[in-house]
Amino acid sequence: MIENARSLNIVASLILLVGMVYILGPLYLTLATATQSYEFLLRNGLAWYPGDQFFNNVARIFTETRIPIQMFNSLAVAFSLAIATCILSFLSAYAIVYFRIRWAGVAFALILATIMLPVDIRVITTYQVASNVFSPVNALLDVSGLNGLIAGIFGAPVQLELSVLNTHFGLIAPLAAHGTGTFLFRQFFRTLPGDLFKAARMDGAGPIRFMVDILLPLSRTSFAALFVLTFLSGWTQYLWPLVASSTPDMQTAVVGLARLLPDSEGEVPDFPMIMAGAVIVSLVPLLMIALLQRYLVQGLVLSEK
Amino acid sequence: MNAIDTAIRAAAASITVKDLTKAYDPQTVVIPPMDVELKAGEFTVVLGPSGCGKSTLLQMIAGLERVTGGKILIGTREVQDLEPKHRGCAMVFQNYALYPHMTVFENMAYSLKVSGTPKAERAERVAAVARMLGLADYLHRKPGQLSGGQRQRVAIGRAIVREPGVLLFDEPLSNLDAQLRHDMRVELADLHRRIGATTVFVTHDQVEAMTLADRILILNKGRIEQFDTPKAIYHHPASVFVAKFIGAPPMNILAVTGDGSALRLADGQVVANAPLTGAYQLGIRPEDIVVDGKADGHAVKAALRFREDLGSHSVLAADLGGSIVRIATPFGMDIVDRLELLLNFPTSRLHLFDAATGRAIPGALGAQ
Repeated sequence: MIENARSLNIVASLILLVGMVYILGPLYLTLATATQSYEFLLRNGLAWYPGDQFFNNVARIFTETRIPIQMFNSLAVAFSLAIATCILSFLSAYAIVYFRIRWAGVAFALILATIMLPVDIRVITTYQVASNVFSPVNALLDVSGLNGLIAGIFGAPVQLELSVLNTHFGLIAPLAAHGTGTFLFRQFFRTLPGDLFKAARMDGAGPIRFMVDILLPLSRTSFAALFVLTFLSGWTQYLWPLVASSTPDMQTAVVGLARLLPDSEGEVPDFPMIMAGAVIVSLVPLLMIALLQRYLVQGLVLSEK
Repeated sequence: MNAIDTAIRAAAASITVKDLTKAYDPQTVVIPPMDVELKAGEFTVVLGPSGCGKSTLLQMIAGLERVTGGKILIGTREVQDLEPKHRGCAMVFQNYALYPHMTVFENMAYSLKVSGTPKAERAERVAAVARMLGLADYLHRKPGQLSGGQRQRVAIGRAIVREPGVLLFDEPLSNLDAQLRHDMRVELADLHRRIGATTVFVTHDQVEAMTLADRILILNKGRIEQFDTPKAIYHHPASVFVAKFIGAPPMNILAVTGDGSALRLADGQVVANAPLTGAYQLGIRPEDIVVDGKADGHAVKAALRFREDLGSHSVLAADLGGSIVRIATPFGMDIVDRLELLLNFPTSRLHLFDAATGRAIPGALGAQ
């Protein structure tokens, strides 16, 4: 339906304007405050007009805080997360779509269920497992009675222990098990002609060869889209890095930014410096979107070119 | 004749199918035990309605479907347990199944690349096939930049570049429009005449079957109804199923009863003299029925229902004792405004089938 009523247009524009103020207002406040000095903040509160202290604030971020090393952590986490998710999703979708597996439907449903169970919901159990990755094995040994048997023979039950808390691996692994990518690739594979797989078999290509020569090049845009999306979500993760990392050198930039707020009551936070930090931390995902947004759109429309 | 023609002609192998069965589980048997032999260099069309198992048969020959039982021999080699690449078959798919990201050249050269053929030989063989199929100018295009007919030719080129012993087609023309389908049919017939590859061509289109085949294998529910030349299948159908499947419009089938001296229709009119008793099915082709003319058979009365003028001829539909009979007459025959027709069934053109099994009864009447 296309309405051409003038009054409706004006109302719609007004709503749009209000929405923009709500989104751009805080952003402007961030940028403006980042350019003022701490003294200015103490006198006037948050800045509504830009000053000349931006580079000074940025320099302080690099010299006085851990943000640089935390940005490196963020980069490592987001990058590894994106790579791991892409590989996992591609392989699982390949197995589900192209092989006759008895429980493929169930497996796919379970993978999809992970979309509805993000880390934020299962953070306590995930923390328990991360603090000892062998705890499920231990529990299994206990429940199955095997441990009783082992204790009877060797004198002590098996209790394995390995913590991945406060490591890069521990930051990445729980986030990588996520079904969105599998779903994305599965939907893409299903738009490809089914005879492609048969044609490749007739041409003498086995499953690996088909995957590498045919499927991988065709999935380029899906890879790019998934990579960008996962990178962004990895970069902006807050809850899991907060609980899984305990030392400042292992924390990610987003967590580090939050930690710049003073711990003691009554002290006025150094908002100009924090805002400058926020600007720097936002630059990386912004750059990512600017460079790869073309692929992002192409990959998400899910059509074969 | 260039090198690739000779190579393919030399590679052409026979296909022998022995006790071949396919069942997804004991309840769903797609193909009951089947025995058939396709000669080397022969163009066989496998024809049947959808769900008759024709594609399954093709895929079992190709190695894309596992066989449940029995043997498949290509040449003298048992292949039913071999991987597709070891069978010496090549296949052309219904939707072409070209690799969208590869150029025409890469598409055709892919199988050679996988098998480790040296680069120079690859280029040479692809060039030879491309020349043969008129694709030489398109080698650097991607499939998306080609027309339907060109894509089909690339798919054929990709299949024959390997010089396969057996060339398999899975309804390759059903995605093309009518004009292109006709052109490709002619091209395919010409190609087969030149390279002489053993060809198995699956289709549900009887025109393709009649025009392309050396022999037609007609399948119904996984069973072979008839395996013979197009001419024999048209003129001597082995069953009611075949008679109804081939011809446009198809053969008329009427229920008749023999009283010892004549065959009578349901309403009692005599259509033929024959010393038969019991129930039969009588077949006659629409173009064999004579309207208002003299012929060597009995004349029966029928009520005209409607007519279709097709340019080259007209098709009349008439009610004969409760069942509709179609008659093909020369165009413009003056039968407008008439409700009753006098139809003559020449005895030499009648086909008699068993009422229960639908199998033809040879020798009982003229046409068999």
